Amino acid sequence: MGEKELSSIETELYDRQIRLWGIESQEKLRAANVLLIGIRGLGSEIAKDILLSGINSLIILDNGTVTKEEQLVNFLLTPDSLGKNIAKSVLAKAQALNPLVKLTADSDSIESKDEDYFKQFTIVISTKLSTDEIIKISAWCRNSNVKFISGDVFGMFGYTVSDFQDHEYYEDRVKLPKKRRHDEKIPKAEAVTVKVQARIKYPDLSTVIKRSKTGKMKKCRNIYYYLMLVLLEFRNRHKRDPFYTKRQEDLVTLKTIWADISKDYEVDSTMLTDEIFGLVFGEVVPICSIVGGIVVQEAIKAVSGKEVPINNVFLLNPLTYYGKEETIGIV
Amino acid sequence: MATSSAIPHVLSENVREAVANCNVLVVGAGGIGCEILKNLALSGFQNIEIIDLDTIDVSNLNRQFLFRKEHVAYHDSITTVEYGVNFYKNFNLVLNALDNRIARNHVNRMCLAADIPLIESGTSGYTGQVELIKKGLTQCYECQPKPPQRSFPGCTIRNTPSEPIHCIVWAKHLFNQLFGEDDPDQDVSPDTADPELAADAGKLALSEQNNSDGDVQRKSTNLWAKEIDYNPEKLFNKFFQDDIKYLLSMENLWKKRKPPNPLAWAEASSHEGDSNMIIENNSKTEDMQVWSLSKCSKVFASSISVLKAELSNKNFLVWDKDDKPGMDFVTACANIRAHIFSIEQKSRFEIKSIAGNIVPAIATTNAIVAGLAVLHAFRVLGEELEKCHTTYVRQKSSSAKTVLMTESVLIKANPNCYVCSEKPSVNVSVNVDSMTVKEFETEVLKKNLNMIAPDAMLDGKNLVVISSEEGETEINNNKKLSEIGIIDGSILKVDDFLQNYELTVYITNYVPKDITEPQFIVHGNTENLRPIEEMNGGGKQDTNTKVEVVEPQSSVDDPQEGSSVKRRKLNPAEEEDDDLIMLEDDDD
Ligand SMILES: [Zn+2]
Repeated sequence: MGEKELSSIETELYDRQIRLWGIESQEKLRAANVLLIGIRGLGSEIAKDILLSGINSLIILDNGTVTKEEQLVNFLLTPDSLGKNIAKSVLAKAQALNPLVKLTADSDSIESKDEDYFKQFTIVISTKLSTDEIIKISAWCRNSNVKFISGDVFGMFGYTVSDFQDHEYYEDRVKLPKKRRHDEKIPKAEAVTVKVQARIKYPDLSTVIKRSKTGKMKKCRNIYYYLMLVLLEFRNRHKRDPFYTKRQEDLVTLKTIWADISKDYEVDSTMLTDEIFGLVFGEVVPICSIVGGIVVQEAIKAVSGKEVPINNVFLLNPLTYYGKEETIGIV
Repeated sequence: MATSSAIPHVLSENVREAVANCNVLVVGAGGIGCEILKNLALSGFQNIEIIDLDTIDVSNLNRQFLFRKEHVAYHDSITTVEYGVNFYKNFNLVLNALDNRIARNHVNRMCLAADIPLIESGTSGYTGQVELIKKGLTQCYECQPKPPQRSFPGCTIRNTPSEPIHCIVWAKHLFNQLFGEDDPDQDVSPDTADPELAADAGKLALSEQNNSDGDVQRKSTNLWAKEIDYNPEKLFNKFFQDDIKYLLSMENLWKKRKPPNPLAWAEASSHEGDSNMIIENNSKTEDMQVWSLSKCSKVFASSISVLKAELSNKNFLVWDKDDKPGMDFVTACANIRAHIFSIEQKSRFEIKSIAGNIVPAIATTNAIVAGLAVLHAFRVLGEELEKCHTTYVRQKSSSAKTVLMTESVLIKANPNCYVCSEKPSVNVSVNVDSMTVKEFETEVLKKNLNMIAPDAMLDGKNLVVISSEEGETEINNNKKLSEIGIIDGSILKVDDFLQNYELTVYITNYVPKDITEPQFIVHGNTENLRPIEEMNGGGKQDTNTKVEVVEPQSSVDDPQEGSSVKRRKLNPAEEEDDDLIMLEDDDD
């Protein structure tokens, strides 16, 4: 069996999805080596979906320790994992999701990894990183043409940002042949499927998620873009996410950050309401399920080069569950 | 705080309380069901029950170990008496994670009858949908007529195929004729009652005569196959040479069509160098390539010998897409017939999609839809039902930026819905002099109106004509409707106690003009009842009867038909592998 060739076990296991994206996509997934940074609530969802897609290998990198809080929202953790390294603790259940994927845990810190480390991957998926870490790692990935996507869940809110660099892709479009009007008895030909090629140039993420202090950034009409910036800034400052036990003080901090950002970007500060800020605490599991699905669907598009990917930010409205693409940054 | 800390802290106190104390029922434990269960368990729901429809699937979407099982109680059936309306009344909320329309119809009716909020969800490929169904507040699952099934007139299948799917349907019929249960609607031999032949008065007379002969011949196909001990060469020559020659003799058919080329066993099995032999890509498995003609004939013979052996200790075989010899047989026969009619041939993989009515499914869409379903559950528990707007998962395209789309209002019920309206009623146009009571029960009440155990009473006469009690009305079974007093203008009061569903059926007499017209027509909307003539003119695509229906891969399905056998069983638990679709196309 060749490296690229799918076994009959694989074609059977992945039958339903091969019928959607085709054998070529499945072969590309089969060859993909994936790094997942962060295996908390959202990370566990991403791990599940990417394992089920049938990639070649997955490394889960997280130097965190399992807490009681984490056990409640992470279905990959078992009760005996308390106090242990989280990446190692999810291995058994994660591997059971798909025994065909080469799965490893890495309990090192993200700081310990240099640029060379990232060259081995087809795609890097990250969660829970600070703005600087996202910019640093995505720039390294850019140097080696490694696709990059990052996502986070804050309470009922979630987003993804991607850098697929210079991304070539195709989509199948079904075209119906012109009708032969005069003679209906001639058997009509089947609809033909044509491959449509396209290319997207992704902006460098430093122009997407880095807070602009020059006031020259193009405004985004989607207010949840600013919520993303506020939450990243909170994380950068406090080395943690807003947490319900510190709800009152965290709300004050969030609003202070927002006051600054709304001034910098010259946007109406009443757009982000108290109701919205009240919804950003904790990793809400169904939201992780949704954002994880989006992240992995985009990762599959990045790897397979099939279907139109989100360019380049996805924002989930925490009140209506609207989920929209926003194209942000400078190419 | 009384509640477990797994319950999201961003929810309001009353919702957190409700999450901890409510009883929820999840119906279905396939791809979406497992994801929903995981989300419920990790969101702090304490009392979860599940009806597992026991679908056995080799795919990677059944992941029952995603959730911790301690709070999950199992039930394994759905349409039994124990799970009547009172069972549903035990729950604050029902979440559907089903893969077929019959089961969805059933749970829809149960939740309406019990007046329990139902969160309905489904996926197909990259798209999906979650909606709340609540009596008096929203539309129900059956408010909008489902997209019509794709159907083909019998004569297209038997005489004049023009698309691969026609050949695939024919090949499945051939399987049933040779190995399956006898079914007069699945004749594979040339159809001499083809309306195209009827242009000639002389031929019409001839065709009527032949029609009765044809029946005799049909009954003997299976017998004859047994007599010749399933000799592949003889079978091949009959279906692909003699029958085709016979078709050629119906000259009217070929005036404007390319005539078929009869194919003899000797020629097919020695066929060399045909273009199909070129193998595009070596990395593809055998499934992905289009078989050569000689390979088709080899597989024809080898699959017949396996099927013959399987048949030796059974009364009949049931076709199943996952049964190798059956699938091989259909692939070979469909492609041989396609070759004869100069129709594009397909790979086994593609034919399996079409013949098995497989709807593609992926883990990511299931996860997204399951997440949305539980968000809807929070809203229902927070008594914010009016905020539970239907949400769609859409495929990103170059013109569509919205991946998750939410309606801005609740979708109101159809006032004429034959399920959820105040006094549900429906009009049935049927030939009261030719349809039997049994056919009416099976074809109209069960298959079309999705009842499980109907009792029907003729209004004004207090006469029970159909009873769900064993033996009570069996004497009526073979009588024509008119013989027991069901005539034009009759009103039937039908009651399905299993679904707590009462329906008034208004009968109109109707005589189909020819075999391409439906045997009966069900009009959901009394106000829009059109004259029969008009229906006949434009209503062919609504055909409910007579012709076989096989869904193409990408279309909206009726799982009852795409599955291996004709729908004979009404228990949704027995319908499998037909993931639903209930979606609109991406339109922005
Ligand atoms: Zn309705």
